[in-house]
Amino acid sequence: MAYLLRRIAGAALVVFGATSMVFLILYWLPGDPATLVAGEGATAETIARIRAHLGTGRPLWDQYMSYLDNLAHGDLGTSFATGEPVLHRLWAQAMPTLDLTLLACVVAIVVGVVMGVVSAVHRGRWLDHAIQAALLLFTSMPSFWLGILLIMVFAVTLRWLPAIGNGSLAQLVLPVACLGLIAAGKLARMVRNSVIEVLDEPFVTTLRAKGLTERSVLFRHVLRNALIPVVTLLGILAGELLSGAVVTETLFARQGVGRILVEAVGVKDIPVVQGVILFAAVFYVLINLLVDLSYVVIDRRVRV
Amino acid sequence: MNAITGRTTQPHDAAASVPEWPTSRLRVPKLPRPVIAAPVLVIALMLLCAIVPGWLAPFDPTDMDGDAVLQAPSAAHLLGTDNFGRDLFTLLIYGARESLLLGACAVVLGGVAGGLIGLVAGTGGRAVDMVLMRLMDIWMSVPDILLAIVIAASLGASTTNTILAVGVVTIPRYARVMRAQVIATRSRSFVEASRQVGSSPVSVVLRHILPHTLSPMLVMVTLGVANAILIGASLSFIGLGVVDDRPDWGFLLSQGRSYLGVAWWFATLPGLAITALVVSINMLGDALRNRLDPRLRGARQSGT
Amino acid sequence: MPTRREFAALIAGGTLAVSRAFAAPPATTPKPGGELVFALDGAAVVTFLLDPHNSGFAPHNRVFRSIFDSLVVLRPDQSVGPWLAQSWQVAPDQKSYTFQLRRGVTFHDGTPFDAASVKANLDRISDPKNALVALPDIGPYAGADVLAPDTVRINLSEPFAPLLRNLSKTTLGIVSPAAVAKYGATFGQNPVGTGPFRFVSLIQGTEIRLARNEDYQWAPDGASHQGPAYLERLTFKNVPEEATRVAALQSRQVHAADTIPPQALAALRADPTFRVLDKELLNNNYALYPNIARAPWNDEQIRLALRLSLDIDTIVRVIYLGTLPRAWAPLSPSIFASAEHDLAKSWKPDPKRAADILQANGWLPGASGIREKDGKRLTISFIDTQGNREKRLDVIQLVRRQLAKTGFDLSIDSQPAGTYVAKMSNGEYDLAGASQFAPDPDVLRRLHLPDGRDKSSVSKVDDPEISQWLRDGMRENEPEARAELYHKVQAKLIDKTYALPIYVLQYNIGTTDAVSGVTIDTHGFPQFHGAWLATA
Repeated sequence: MAYLLRRIAGAALVVFGATSMVFLILYWLPGDPATLVAGEGATAETIARIRAHLGTGRPLWDQYMSYLDNLAHGDLGTSFATGEPVLHRLWAQAMPTLDLTLLACVVAIVVGVVMGVVSAVHRGRWLDHAIQAALLLFTSMPSFWLGILLIMVFAVTLRWLPAIGNGSLAQLVLPVACLGLIAAGKLARMVRNSVIEVLDEPFVTTLRAKGLTERSVLFRHVLRNALIPVVTLLGILAGELLSGAVVTETLFARQGVGRILVEAVGVKDIPVVQGVILFAAVFYVLINLLVDLSYVVIDRRVRV
Repeated sequence: MNAITGRTTQPHDAAASVPEWPTSRLRVPKLPRPVIAAPVLVIALMLLCAIVPGWLAPFDPTDMDGDAVLQAPSAAHLLGTDNFGRDLFTLLIYGARESLLLGACAVVLGGVAGGLIGLVAGTGGRAVDMVLMRLMDIWMSVPDILLAIVIAASLGASTTNTILAVGVVTIPRYARVMRAQVIATRSRSFVEASRQVGSSPVSVVLRHILPHTLSPMLVMVTLGVANAILIGASLSFIGLGVVDDRPDWGFLLSQGRSYLGVAWWFATLPGLAITALVVSINMLGDALRNRLDPRLRGARQSGT
Repeated sequence: MPTRREFAALIAGGTLAVSRAFAAPPATTPKPGGELVFALDGAAVVTFLLDPHNSGFAPHNRVFRSIFDSLVVLRPDQSVGPWLAQSWQVAPDQKSYTFQLRRGVTFHDGTPFDAASVKANLDRISDPKNALVALPDIGPYAGADVLAPDTVRINLSEPFAPLLRNLSKTTLGIVSPAAVAKYGATFGQNPVGTGPFRFVSLIQGTEIRLARNEDYQWAPDGASHQGPAYLERLTFKNVPEEATRVAALQSRQVHAADTIPPQALAALRADPTFRVLDKELLNNNYALYPNIARAPWNDEQIRLALRLSLDIDTIVRVIYLGTLPRAWAPLSPSIFASAEHDLAKSWKPDPKRAADILQANGWLPGASGIREKDGKRLTISFIDTQGNREKRLDVIQLVRRQLAKTGFDLSIDSQPAGTYVAKMSNGEYDLAGASQFAPDPDVLRRLHLPDGRDKSSVSKVDDPEISQWLRDGMRENEPEARAELYHKVQAKLIDKTYALPIYVLQYNIGTTDAVSGVTIDTHGFPQFHGAWLATA
């Protein structure tokens, strides 16, 4: 329990640090938000008025403190560009990104674990080599290239699936495949190595000598042990998947946080940028927290 | 500690996934086996393209033949032409330099900066270590591409900025690996002995600790080049890449994607080039890791 | 003996051929109902601010046309016809226009459209506190008088020839004053007009949903019918990636897509299951503008050398694959007073003469072919912020290549919007490119008249002759005299290389064969009022 609380505190610290870091980066980079919001043809007075309204003329410490204060009250601020509350904007955009990322995660896990285990069990044989070659290929190609190929084949030529959009389940298939397959590749390799390592352990030989079936050995003992580094990798992959989602969203014309990030940075819509980074950091930290908790489940003797 | 295998798992260093390394110094890989020969050959070829493109390329990369726009591969143009009428084969050869340069520089930046941070963290005492590693955690909590977007979009598109963005984003992982190695090494008996004898801390670091960190760093750096190239390609795709006379493969790919329907060679071949390079680097990195990591040597016997 | 597979193929092919031969001719009676999904090239602008008075961005204005009506409509012959205003009279001194408004028009929120609404709209635009983009469109507006519920008089402090044409623009579209009062700063996410479609919802950056305005009875002069639209719903999806947009159309996931890139046009036109419409966008053509406030571009001779180094015909041919014509004049050919005809072929590329000019001015060939003078290289920093929209950056790549032959070294400075505006205002660039959709030659005044011009404007021209012609042109209501003035302006702009027009945009829309009745209006904006779906 204490472990859990400490991890949560640590996680909060990390999230806080990430948004502070981004705040600083944006503060120092060139461009004045007030001029941009005021738009073309605005007089100096208008710009000054807007600057006062946005609060961007204040010293760094002031702005930072306000930001933290608002954050503590659950207020992510209002977008400089649209006047919309950032939380509202993010909520609408975050759901599709999460859908995509989490589904891709599931695909990655299922495909990755299966491929990895099959490969490990048949190591050295042609199936292993074939799977390895395929995995290597998948993890080496740029995700948007895979995406374009998928669109060309499945949407345009075969017309089995829709090319773009974020309404229906069918519209999720290609983007999820694109993201998930690449992550599956990375996961599978790790699974394979991990399973092989464990299979070589003396205790496995012992178990086999005791007369347990291969399947029982595999599922009840080997996998459990092999899973720890795999689960860790998942934590990292989740972050990468979120990254990959940005590119995939652009290609498949989906809603999502990535697209608004690029524009928000361009017009120095600082609240929006901070909101997106906050979202990403929270997501990453949560996933890793889950990963840590899962160690406890997987191996009851892990304590820190 | 895992009660069954008696091995200590260090979840947060999964990025390194190599808690313990051989006690001897940097190992040089032995004679190349077939599985190493092919990737090395490919990389060597690409390095050749990068260093002396003029020898290999049939045309000048800036030659735009207005009458030969978007032509299919033919005797005159081995791999076809792009939307400006430039010979694609030539562009790919010259593009090798841009891609490799991006990968190498970004990795040098990340590796040196990250390595330094990890070194300081590993040798600087507990407080310094904790602060630095928390900072690295914060850094890592923001997904790769999002952070790269923030940096690249704010600074504007240029080769330097892209290298900066990609390099900065990867610093934490190098820091982690370096730190883990330093900590593992510094408690070894010969280091203790050296200190007892009265060698200065700097000399201890330089002569004893550093050499032992080079193996894992080498593996990470090798794989890091591949990763940097992919991130750079993604930045190009989103539109934050450099618009240059000498396009890199990522930029060519993002240009070519609009022409997939009418000029498949334009979109496919740069992607293929990236994939080939990344596959080769990954294979090389894997081979290096297999040779240098004792834990996986068991796996190697089973036919990795 | 054919295999079973071959046999099946034969049957299938035969059936197809027979059914094609006996296929029913396309239906010609509009069927009400259905939702038309339109893939829009929103050019990666992910913030929708649907306030017509505050956007000079063409893609968003294409959406506005369905939500907001205008007082008048622009006819194909460039004259204006009645719309929300049924008739009008111009005072002899040309300083006031009295409009008789159509009766029975209501906004989407139920409030009535009347003279007071027109006045409220114009007052809103003219209020400097609002800092709205549409301000220059109303020129010397000096208030409006409500003479009767359906009669409004617009007063000007001096004659303003562009007024009627500007009133046909979406930027002067009529918004509901009640909604503006109610929503204030968030009106851009809650647009309310009188148009054939009313706003339902939007997802920022991704889609805009409209639904039929059931009360609509006031279509413009020349429309296919006066009553409500046929389509029940109209949805715009923002798909800035051209490959994805074309793929969505070809896979029939959307009914229509715009800005089909040149390389995909041929395939679409050849396919009988798709239709392509295109029309010239009334536009101040995309042109390159040297920063004449910065040396050496303040020297007319150097600018001439720049121009003579460029073979724009080749550039346009290579980039646009013959689908767009090259632009000779700043104003696109169909705009009133466009000098396209006069200026066509008025100059030829002459790299040799360009080299001679540079040489004579002390710019001597240096290392790697780039010219130098007093230790300074002949560099051109081209600043950009919109990316490869309409393949503009591809154009610049070709420009760079051509300029390099004469000894110029052009580099592209890509900046985010904020930095772009800052650099433009401070003059930290050598060359920039821009276009502005407009139906009236007065658009030249906004660019090239220094009075009241925004500091970040792409043109830094301050030429007394041009300024005077532009002021006169703004006031001159007699068409021939007016046209004469703008011809002089355009000729001088080209002659002094203040502007270098590149291409004439043909706005295009690709639709599946299930779509009928989509048109492109005289401005070059899509019209959906008369559109219907065969599969509704």
